[in-house]
Amino acid sequence: MRDNTLKYLLVLPAVFVVFATAIWPLIESLRLSFTVGRLNRPGSLDQYLGWENFTWAFSQEPAFWNSVWVTAIYTVLTVALTTLFALGLAMLLAPGGKFRSGVQTLLILPFAMSPALIGVSFRFMFNPEFGLFDAFFGVMIPPLADVSWLADPVLAFAVCVMADVWGWIPFLTLVLIGGLASVPQDTIEAAQVDGASGWRVFKDVTLPQLAPVLAVVIILKSIFSLKTFDQIFMLTNGGPGTATQTLSHYIYFNGMKYGQIGYAASVAWLMVIPMIFLTYAYAKFVFRKD
Amino acid sequence: MAEVSLKNLTKRWGDFIGVDNQSLEIHDREFLVLLGPSGCGKTTTMRMIAGLEDPTDGEIWIGDRMVNDDLPKDRDVAMVFQNYGLYPHMTIFDNIAYPLRVRGTPKSEIEPRVKKAAEQVELTEFLHRKPKALSGGQRQRVALARAIVRTPKVFLMDEPLSNLDAKLRVTMRAELKHLSRALKITTIYVTHDQIEAMTLADRVAVMKNGIIQQLGTPDEIYNDPANLFVAGFIGSPAMNLINGSVQDGHFVTTGGTKLVPVSAPDRPDVVLGVRADDMRVSEEGQGGIDVRIYAFENTGEATLLTVQWGKQRVIAKGDRHLRKDQDDMVSITLDPDHLYLFDPETGNRIKS
Ligand SMILES: Nc1ncnc2c1ncn2[C@@H]1O[C@H](COP(=O)(O)OP(=O)(O)OP(=O)(O)O)[C@@H](O)[C@H]1O
Ligand SMILES: [Mg+2]
Repeated sequence: MRDNTLKYLLVLPAVFVVFATAIWPLIESLRLSFTVGRLNRPGSLDQYLGWENFTWAFSQEPAFWNSVWVTAIYTVLTVALTTLFALGLAMLLAPGGKFRSGVQTLLILPFAMSPALIGVSFRFMFNPEFGLFDAFFGVMIPPLADVSWLADPVLAFAVCVMADVWGWIPFLTLVLIGGLASVPQDTIEAAQVDGASGWRVFKDVTLPQLAPVLAVVIILKSIFSLKTFDQIFMLTNGGPGTATQTLSHYIYFNGMKYGQIGYAASVAWLMVIPMIFLTYAYAKFVFRKD
Repeated sequence: MAEVSLKNLTKRWGDFIGVDNQSLEIHDREFLVLLGPSGCGKTTTMRMIAGLEDPTDGEIWIGDRMVNDDLPKDRDVAMVFQNYGLYPHMTIFDNIAYPLRVRGTPKSEIEPRVKKAAEQVELTEFLHRKPKALSGGQRQRVALARAIVRTPKVFLMDEPLSNLDAKLRVTMRAELKHLSRALKITTIYVTHDQIEAMTLADRVAVMKNGIIQQLGTPDEIYNDPANLFVAGFIGSPAMNLINGSVQDGHFVTTGGTKLVPVSAPDRPDVVLGVRADDMRVSEEGQGGIDVRIYAFENTGEATLLTVQWGKQRVIAKGDRHLRKDQDDMVSITLDPDHLYLFDPETGNRIKS
């Protein structure tokens, strides 16, 4: 056998696995999104429906728009908060920062937890009877003493954001520490001698040089926020009502709980649109020429 | 305008001593050069004056203010960094304008001043470029322009000409000298190029291992070196250092050759220093001591003869029309008025 043939034979199993687990489900979900697609109605998976699933989502489903809003606000808040906190922490922990020591290793801890686990633990923390955070906030901010966090739409949403930010700060911090380490120290020192205050050094010299890394961090986090599912599922299960129902959760509910797999597939494909945009932006920044 | 004084300044990293208990008074408007081999603590001294490095011990005064606890931005110094420290995301114009902008210079003033500074370092045509699109020498000139665009209390220049080609270096050297005279600003200038030191300095501080070996005018440093290190470091070619002893008022080499009368008491161990310029070369048998030529070099403006002197080699400078060859014999005479004796143990000069 020629080496040439052999090398193709050797990658064939991998290609097959990728096709079976990624490509084929993708194609199949696209096909399903144009069908009636009811899990409980035999034959409906092949019943062609045209664009109706899509138009239905836009025109007939307030719940769809609700989850779009929830996802949008959730994404904006988590991306902004996580990035800000991570940037602050990275400044403190970066080489030359104030608190460089063994604590970085501690930092990785939340990131080692699965999102589902974070969801469960935050649910416990905010339990009205024995939750640690519930008690803590009750003592720190007395008006919050008697509220039942996860039963209030706004507070439940806040808890979800909090859990997400908490879980993602480590990863973003580590990436930003790396970014900060690559900002040449002498440019910072030059600015100090030139007469810039700490804030101006940060704004004029550090931040612009950190911008490419920061952009990548923001885009990546946006992608992750947009598709948040497991954490929400374990923490609030979309509730109370639909107050914390993100798009992924909405898709899951329609597809798995109501059996409307065709409709769920079409909403999932709608989500691809912002994803493609973000992925394109990401690739542009990561593989930029300049 | 200000004098700078360092009082018992020390910088230590763990056990390693970068700058060792140094005191130095730099006068108002003086051009002081810190000269020394690589790693002797020149940059460290500068960084402490600029406020980028905290001294382990000692005081730094600028004018009548102790600045140890002042932030770099409050010390009103301008620094040219050894590795430039340009802002890569700004154009050359913005790089040079930055110190003016952060100090709130009126907008209308910024442009003419940046243009003028750029002119002084011959950079006008690059103002719209980013640092990445410049050569090392051009970047260095941007760093220089960024320092001279302002009128600070003190200039700190860390080898600002080290990356320029020979011709530009001479031009910029003259430009700097002119500038420092015209602006009348106290300048501390680091170099390990002794020609730069000799030509620019009002006074030179020669450093070694974090310790200032000698502080004096270029003349004093060259003609009256305090110890073996300074004698060997200043001058090109380096001063010849010959081991021997003093017997009956004469210097005698280790090989036993009675060389030249010296005015010093007899002692067994001594080092004689003599510059190549202070040796006269003549035809064999017509002068002091006959020696064999080990190598003959013609630099154009002079000839350099490396000659074998017992076990040692010595470099003498000859007339530029002199033509000799390897292994030819010549005669060398030492000028008894320009000889230096050193103690080989301590390295200190033995003055008569
Ligand atoms: N942050 C540091 N930690 C430990 N040692 C350092 C540090 N910075 C400098 N040194 C040491 O201090 C000594 C003096 O360094 P410095 O940069 O002042 O030398 P220099 O005279 O400027 O040399 P060059 O001519 O090569 O620029 C060197 O031996 C250097 O290794
Ligand atoms: Mg240096």
